[in-house]
Amino acid sequence: MKRKNQIAIALFCFCIGLSIAFLIQTNQKPTEKDTRDLWEIRTSLQEEQMKQQNLYKEIEKSEAMLKLYEEQTEQQQMASLKESIKRLKEQAGLTKKEGTGVILTIEPIFTEENQYEYPQITADLIHHLVNELNTYGATDIAIGNERIVNISPIRDVNEKVYVNNYSIGSLPIKLYVLSEEPSRLVDYVNVSESLDYFALENMEIHTETVENITLPKYDGAIDFEDVKVMAVEGEGEE
Amino acid sequence: MGIPIIFLILGLIFGLLTNITIPEAYTNYLAVIILAALDALIGGIRAQLERQFQNKLFISGFFFNVMVALVIVFIGEMAGVELYLAAVIALGIRMLQNISNIRKISIQKGGLFKKSKKNKGFSTNHIE
Repeated sequence: MKRKNQIAIALFCFCIGLSIAFLIQTNQKPTEKDTRDLWEIRTSLQEEQMKQQNLYKEIEKSEAMLKLYEEQTEQQQMASLKESIKRLKEQAGLTKKEGTGVILTIEPIFTEENQYEYPQITADLIHHLVNELNTYGATDIAIGNERIVNISPIRDVNEKVYVNNYSIGSLPIKLYVLSEEPSRLVDYVNVSESLDYFALENMEIHTETVENITLPKYDGAIDFEDVKVMAVEGEGEE
Repeated sequence: MGIPIIFLILGLIFGLLTNITIPEAYTNYLAVIILAALDALIGGIRAQLERQFQNKLFISGFFFNVMVALVIVFIGEMAGVELYLAAVIALGIRMLQNISNIRKISIQKGGLFKKSKKNKGFSTNHIE
């Protein structure tokens, strides 16, 4: 082989080697780096500590209850078990609930432009409103006669809104909201984004603070068939 | 034969040391370029063993193959079809054929089968 040819082929090989190396490096995914600063790490540490504390508290509570059960006679045990069941049912929304709260009434607005068209409520709007109410400190919510529990579906079916698989009908719609601080909730609602979204669809929300509202109970069965415990990944466990 | 391999390994080492990456959208193009280059290289080695090596043919073959392969990849991406596989398969098959020829020629030159006179012609069209 001529020397010139040999050099050319050698350089050629060098280029091939280089490009193979580039391709290998491109295909290797870069390792993710922890780019949080001290403050962020401190905040997440605090969050984790809070979680830990809450867990400890829960364990303590359960242990106290267990101790109580063990110490009691059989009849007392039955009584306290029944009480626990009652409390849990109340938490899950399977019982009627009374308390101070707010009644929100969603009504149509008629202007000159839309006087021939009746505004239609959508599940998205209700979703948004319910989420906002929850962040504003609502403890329990019912839409019309339907109590909202953790698994209540809100969906659009044939241009009607269904809550807990029952239609809530057309406007006006009433939402019954229990809250420990009703006046604060009313203030929040009056400046909320939902008001704007409802206004865009020609609807308005009236609020009314009531001393005593009774929320209906949730009628359906709570199905835990597809419910799974989510594994919570701890810090640095990737 | 030794020097090209040494340079290939050198290139690999340098490339891995520089830590350069290319945008992910171009990986198909680079893969096809590498394949075309390897094909040209192996074809060149075969031609050298057959004493038919020509620098011009070697370089023009490489560039022409790369161009056509890149155009195929580009058209494939535009059309949403994985057309680069066509280039990869064509180049891959030719590379394997050339490798098998190189093996045959080198075995015959090495004198392992010098006594058998049947294997004089080298077919380029079948793989063993």
